[in-house]
Amino acid sequence: MTITLRIILIICSLISFLLCITRIKQAKLKVENSVTWMIGSILLIFMSIFSGAVEWISNKLGFMAPVNFVFLVIIGFLLIQTFIDNIRISTLNEKIKDLNHYIALKEYKSKKD
Amino acid sequence: MKTLVIIPAYNEALNIEKTVKDLKNNTKYDYVIINDCSKDNTKEVCEKNNFNVLSLPINYGLTSGIQLGMKYAYQNGYDIAVQFDGDGQHQAKYIKDLVKEIEEENCDIAIGSRFVSKKKPKSMRMLGSRLIAGAIRITTGKKIKDPTSGMRAYNKKAIELFVKNASLTPEPDTLVYMIKKQLKIKEIQVEMSDREFGESYLKPIKSMEYMINMFFSILFIRAITRKNI
Repeated sequence: MTITLRIILIICSLISFLLCITRIKQAKLKVENSVTWMIGSILLIFMSIFSGAVEWISNKLGFMAPVNFVFLVIIGFLLIQTFIDNIRISTLNEKIKDLNHYIALKEYKSKKD
Repeated sequence: MKTLVIIPAYNEALNIEKTVKDLKNNTKYDYVIINDCSKDNTKEVCEKNNFNVLSLPINYGLTSGIQLGMKYAYQNGYDIAVQFDGDGQHQAKYIKDLVKEIEEENCDIAIGSRFVSKKKPKSMRMLGSRLIAGAIRITTGKKIKDPTSGMRAYNKKAIELFVKNASLTPEPDTLVYMIKKQLKIKEIQVEMSDREFGESYLKPIKSMEYMINMFFSILFIRAITRKNI
């Protein structure tokens, strides 16, 4: 890995880490939801510091260049993150639907009485 | 047996009066209109005529409407729930044929089918119907001639399944689920008229999406439904 890439990775990870923390303090992000982001940034920082290990693993796995391995890890991380978000949205959807039904039934009852 | 007719309505101000009149003249069953947050004055029309109406505060689609109807049927102890469109396509005189089949315990779900004794016309819409029927045949071995028909009667067992499983829709994939749960399905010949006013839930652009959803649901999700649980 080139030194520039390592520096970019470290800076980006630090920024995302700091963003997470400030958002939690402002109560705009829940702690449970931010854990995956923080794990992701820590992973990136580790990969840029211990680039020798990354090179060794990517060589063993047969990647053309270590940077490809880094990208693969990031893509995998993003896929997991979107999947988790998808599940959350579906759960919220169900909850809103139940509320919607509840209000309709309640209104109906109060109108009848 | 206590029977409830569920009429989902979205922007049906022009049709709903006629539908309810038809229902009252031809049957003696209870009914409930599910007003899915219509943008027109469906709600006012229902209230003016003193119809039995449940009004949803947010538009959530046909599935949510039918599920609410099923909840209502379950909570009020109905034995049979009939799904009946509020747009004037369905004719109320056929409801008693469906209900009779369930009362005589010939089946758990009765479908008002257009093609029991009549032949399917060759059009794009019917191609979709054939494909879905084929998918049902492959996964369950059962022949259903009009799987997309929106006129269905469910008995207590089916109502209970609907209330317990929030993923069930009033669409053909649910039929596969019901068959896998050992429920018996029977088709009864009915006539349907063309829409008079308003737009259907299934617009042309959406029908492609609908087909893809149905295929994935039937082949990959409902096909592996287990008998118990």
